Amino acid sequence: MQDSAKTTPLHGWHGKAGANMAVFGGYDMPLWYPTGAKQEHIAVLTGAGIFDTSHMAALTVEGPGSFDLLQRCFTKDLSSCIGKNKTPIEDGRCVYGIFLNRDGTTIDDAIVYRMGTTSYMIIVNAGMGGEIAVHLKTHTGSLEAEVTDLTDRLGKIDVQGPLAARILQGVIKKSGEVFQKMPYFSFKGHFDASSPLSEAVRLTNDAPLLLSRTGYTGEFGFELFMDASRLADTWEMILDAGSDFGITPCGLAARDSLRAGAVLPLSHQDIGHWPFLNNPWLFALPYNEARTDFVKKFLGDEALRTAKDVHYTYPFAGYDLRKVSTHDSARVFDSLGNEIGVVLTCATDMAIGRVGDRIFSIASPDKPQDFKPRGLSCGFIKVKSKLFSGDSVEIRDSRRSIKVMIVDDIRPDRTARRPLKDMVWKREEDI
Amino acid sequence: MKEIGELVIPGDARYAEDHEWARLEGEDVRIGINDYAQDQLGDIVFVELPQVGDTFEKGEEFGTVESVKAVSELYMPLGGEIVAVNEDLEDAPELVNQEPYEGGWMILVKPSDQAEWDDLMTKNAYLDLLKGE
Repeated sequence: MQDSAKTTPLHGWHGKAGANMAVFGGYDMPLWYPTGAKQEHIAVLTGAGIFDTSHMAALTVEGPGSFDLLQRCFTKDLSSCIGKNKTPIEDGRCVYGIFLNRDGTTIDDAIVYRMGTTSYMIIVNAGMGGEIAVHLKTHTGSLEAEVTDLTDRLGKIDVQGPLAARILQGVIKKSGEVFQKMPYFSFKGHFDASSPLSEAVRLTNDAPLLLSRTGYTGEFGFELFMDASRLADTWEMILDAGSDFGITPCGLAARDSLRAGAVLPLSHQDIGHWPFLNNPWLFALPYNEARTDFVKKFLGDEALRTAKDVHYTYPFAGYDLRKVSTHDSARVFDSLGNEIGVVLTCATDMAIGRVGDRIFSIASPDKPQDFKPRGLSCGFIKVKSKLFSGDSVEIRDSRRSIKVMIVDDIRPDRTARRPLKDMVWKREEDI
Repeated sequence: MKEIGELVIPGDARYAEDHEWARLEGEDVRIGINDYAQDQLGDIVFVELPQVGDTFEKGEEFGTVESVKAVSELYMPLGGEIVAVNEDLEDAPELVNQEPYEGGWMILVKPSDQAEWDDLMTKNAYLDLLKGE
């Protein structure tokens, strides 16, 4: 471990569990446990995985100017962002968006939670709490909004996979009530016992909890925010409740392969110091219906309007599990052999495979009998020329060249948006 | 991650700095990666091996091993001709994790220079190297 690396309150637990550790975002974090990243990845598709994600940073914005400050700095239009009808954000809802520089390049991506009319929580990536706090303060101007960096004061556990709700039913008080009306990208409760919101979700050990129906795997599940002091006993309690369901501690390797297969970007790798355009995540921008302009003003809007020759970011899927290494700048070549760009992410989704011209996952309801996938390489490329779904390109590192296909989506039949009512025990006595 | 005391490092094999093991079998030498290497790499999902009949110098790359973490080169602990490769790894690369010194072996080599065997580290010398890492 690097001397300068920070640790989460579960660092000792990871060590005792035999995890392989590495520094990520300034924190010494588990890459995988003795189970191995492949089984961890599969557990999240078929059962449940538990992740220590306390390296992620949290901030709050409070005060009458909070909404306007976020409208100014965050790409999502908070006045039209919920559901098909694009209604305004409300208490208990959260949205994904980007913090841009004035030149349209990405500082970080984030999820913004509305805790109250004048109170918001922001979750950004590891080590980014300070920078985003400074950024928001710089742009507060005359607005009445107070920004607080909560870095290292919160603990965070992700429970992801189709059995996540059933496991949490065993550790959350009045779970039947809590799990009523909790759509994807909504939350309940609060991590601070002094908040009136904290009554809404309590663990059986009485720890107050902010329970969010979000995650970074593409699968059904929750993110649990709590005071850092409650992290260790809550982790043990969930493991205990999940032991009959095969709950599997998962490290960052599985988190990476799961998110790549779910076409979710890694900040500072798939989005970064280039204009946030021509990528699969433009739903984070406040476009009008015709996609001809933005419906609000925000930092970076002018740069995005006038940007020229921005490279195109596309998801790809390979034909077997071999990947290229992005450490030695893997490059992309078109069918004529011309170099057209770089590989941003290349991971292996170990739970998918091709049958004919279709990709199936081990969780696909209509998968062929005896389907035993070996995995497919997948990820994102950034190229100077426009490509279309179905196009073939070669990605090449110093060692090998692999043919891959541009795709709209990678791992099929993901569970993230499944109705919660289908994912819980129906009767008290089943818990 | 395994502590050094937890690693299985058999005394009947010799070791290279790049964490390959080598074991004498008559005139030939069987080669694979050791317990430390497989533990560091994590789940091994693909092994790329040479053809029987290929010859390599000591230190040359003879293949790659792909884990969830990375693709890593495999280096010859000694020079020679490949006389057999472990074809089981094509369908079961996880054998390298499960039994690195048995079913997870990679190549069988006819050495070109016996002196190169003598240069390989004994178990104790290799453990000293690890302690220094």
